Amino acid sequence: MPRYLVERSFPDGLDIPIDDNGMKTVASVVATNADLGVTWVHSYVGDDNRKTFCIYDGPSPEAIRQVAQRNGLPVDAITEVRVLDPYFYVGDPNAS
Amino acid sequence: MMGFMGASSLLLERDEPLARLRAAADQARAGSGRLLLVTGEAGVGKTALIDRLVETDHGMRVWAGSCEQLFTARPLGPLADIASTADGRLGEVVGRGAPVHEILPVLLDELRSHPTLVVFEDVHWADEATLDVIALLARRMATTCSLVVVTSRDELPVDHPLRLVFGALAGAGVERMRLSPLSLRAVRELAEPLGFDADELFQRTGGNPFFVTEVLATGCIELPSSVRDAVLARAAGLEPQARALLEDVSIVTGTIPLQLVAALGGADAGSLAECLASGMLVETANGVVFRNDLAREAIAGEIEPLRRAALHAIALDVLRATNADPARLAHHAEATGDAESVTEYAPIAGQQAAARGAHREAAEQYRRALRFAGHLDVVTKAELLERGAHEVYLIDHFDEAIAWLMDAVELRHEAGDVLAEGDAMRRLSTVQRCGGRRSDARDVGERAIALLETQPQGFELAAAYGNMAMLAMNASELDVGLVAARKSLDLAAACGNRNAEIYSLNTFGMLGLLSGDERGLESLERSLQIGLAEGRDDHVGRAYIHLADIAQRHRRYDLIDRYYGEATEYCIDHGMELWARYLHVYYARTELDRGRWAAAISAIPPSVDVPGTPLARIDAVVIIGLVRARRGDPGHWNALDEAHMLAKRSGELQWVAPVAAARAEAAWLEGRLGSVADEIQSALQACIDSKAWWWAAELAWWSLRAGLDVPDLELAPAPWAMLLEGRNRESAAAWRELGCPYEEALALAHSDDADDLRAAFEIYDSLGADPAAAIVVRRMRELGVRTIPRGARSTTRANPAGLTTRELDVLRLITQGLRNSDIAEELVVSAKTVDHHVSSVLSKLGVSSRADAAREAIRLGVQDGEQVTQR
Repeated sequence: MPRYLVERSFPDGLDIPIDDNGMKTVASVVATNADLGVTWVHSYVGDDNRKTFCIYDGPSPEAIRQVAQRNGLPVDAITEVRVLDPYFYVGDPNAS
Repeated sequence: MMGFMGASSLLLERDEPLARLRAAADQARAGSGRLLLVTGEAGVGKTALIDRLVETDHGMRVWAGSCEQLFTARPLGPLADIASTADGRLGEVVGRGAPVHEILPVLLDELRSHPTLVVFEDVHWADEATLDVIALLARRMATTCSLVVVTSRDELPVDHPLRLVFGALAGAGVERMRLSPLSLRAVRELAEPLGFDADELFQRTGGNPFFVTEVLATGCIELPSSVRDAVLARAAGLEPQARALLEDVSIVTGTIPLQLVAALGGADAGSLAECLASGMLVETANGVVFRNDLAREAIAGEIEPLRRAALHAIALDVLRATNADPARLAHHAEATGDAESVTEYAPIAGQQAAARGAHREAAEQYRRALRFAGHLDVVTKAELLERGAHEVYLIDHFDEAIAWLMDAVELRHEAGDVLAEGDAMRRLSTVQRCGGRRSDARDVGERAIALLETQPQGFELAAAYGNMAMLAMNASELDVGLVAARKSLDLAAACGNRNAEIYSLNTFGMLGLLSGDERGLESLERSLQIGLAEGRDDHVGRAYIHLADIAQRHRRYDLIDRYYGEATEYCIDHGMELWARYLHVYYARTELDRGRWAAAISAIPPSVDVPGTPLARIDAVVIIGLVRARRGDPGHWNALDEAHMLAKRSGELQWVAPVAAARAEAAWLEGRLGSVADEIQSALQACIDSKAWWWAAELAWWSLRAGLDVPDLELAPAPWAMLLEGRNRESAAAWRELGCPYEEALALAHSDDADDLRAAFEIYDSLGADPAAAIVVRRMRELGVRTIPRGARSTTRANPAGLTTRELDVLRLITQGLRNSDIAEELVVSAKTVDHHVSSVLSKLGVSSRADAAREAIRLGVQDGEQVTQR
């Protein structure tokens, strides 16, 4: 399944309180995503809370947009991404 | 003697499933019908559970039918069982072998007027038509006052057709229930009083109730290692004659009439009584039956091949005299190697299956007949090949159909019947055409005509001309096609062949429309009306497909709006899902072109890449590729490259042209139109040669943008013609009139006027067309426009579904039930502007009606201005 970076803007700032309400919000997003086989892996949030960079696994960009719409979440851009692990290139410490 | 394992103990741990079944029956009787799918491994006790439900006081009439493990299933077997006990119309329609769509309304009438408990058992062995009935019932159960219970094993191979049906089983009244094996506790309860080691028994049997019961019934404490061993051990306890009888009758699936029991096992009443007393056979209304099919399989597996063949021969003889189902007779005939009987009954069974819409089973019967056809004369064999080829073609086995028809042509030649030979060639050509072998199809089609023109003119030649007309249409040789269609039409009318006449009326109309002659629509619609009036499904389906196709090619949105709903309904109700897939894809294209991208994507059926729709897939991936490219989403070239590859392979302009245009647009968005110049030019030339003006004009536009020479177009459609002549504003107005906002913006985006560019930007922005909007912004900078919009405005982005603030206002007013004129007044804008906003709102929400939009607004929580995740 492809992985996507989804950029979102929240001009008034994203606000997910760390309490039951916040949990409900997040759980409802996750449940809606599941309808179309989309998985929210995790997000990076800019320090002004106005921009988020979300990592998603999903079958297609259309599915990402469809669940975003159902969740009432904005989408600025979707980029297909892969993982690059810098330590992959670190050689065997025992080799000369 | 078997008291301890009677029905009551078998039903350990079944209180909850039984309660669910009873609740469903109560709901059904109260007017909210239900379909319950009960699955579980073989031997888990599905039948016992259903029997218990039937015994309870549910106040409904009971209709039960089951499927059997024959080499090839009896078409509509369970319904035939039911019809044999039901009076009135159901018995009549099923009895005369009517297709599913004629049976369904009668069945539904019954289920609506009389509370009925309908049981379809063991549908893992069902034929295609029975599966259709179940799927169609599922969609409508809620409107009945009846309960349908369907049972099936759940260890199905991945390619089992039932998986597709179960996957698609949906509807207001559909429930599923999986029966689990017994728990260790239940096994203990059963086994310990008899001195068995319950833990080991549980481990060995996995708690499978049938297995457990068989082991307990043997009474020997040493545990058998498999169900089969358990069954055989239990049978070993019978007297030798009784055991022999059990083996003899085990070659028969389902109910075994007493007459057949006597013929197979002798008339010794004592042996039969012993088998019944042992519980291995059970008495039914019209014979006896194995209590469980696992037991029957285990016993039957012990019979030596020669004896088995001899038993099947006896069964064939007895059943033949009782006028039994030909599918059953063919089954026994094959098992005993009786070639003459196979070739007598299998074709009849095939014909019956085909008439009921069970094409998979029909194809199987013809394959069976052909395996035994060595002794047949050439003409009979040729007929078999031709009829069989049609059935295997219908289930997408093109290569097999082609091979059979080639043999048929040869046999017809051998028989010296020129008319029949030409006709077989025409059939061959048709299958080759549908299987994508264009040049073979053309070659054979022309040879068929040449041959038939040497003979007295009749139906065969009319059909051959009709085939040629379709060949020419797919090759975009409209003039050749029109001549052939006319000839076919006249000849078919002259010799009174209604089928060929309607077929060619349709082709003739479509060819007319394609060449720009509006009168073609009249012919096409007339072929539809005749097809509907005379109940000719194929012609109706073809007419709908052609109407939808012309709607998407020529942007005739009036046609798609008028026909799409009834067309899909018709195709699904008549078991023509394959056709419905094309309809959905054509509809998706019209949604895309009307700026409703999300709706276009949702309209594409997920099954578009299954066998039988390679061509529908091309359009589908074009739509996906274009939506991605226009939104700036990733993966658009994957889609457009696949489309390119598939279109090239088909070689047909109807796929090549839209693919080339889509690729040109995607390349333009990336500022590298030059990279697809060759593709554009060759497609453009082909469109001009074939007078396909809509595509020609679109490709001419991209050629112009790529700086290529553009030949004059005779008949470019108005909005494109204006754009090509540089009349951008007029073109934009024409696109708006047509309802194509993206193209409207395209026309404005190529103007040099700052206001036009701003208007283009607004439209692109409201559609979420970021890459195109960015191009407009660049152009504004180049032209030195002073106030340049700041890309997509951030407020827009934060609103749900990418709605603009204005659109959100409009949506709230829609939710309050206001009409467009009221909304215009409220917001102090023109009604036209409101129209535009409303269609944009519908598009972004991916819905097609105001009511749906209102529902969606409430779901998104925007009806009163609040949002989910924002302060």
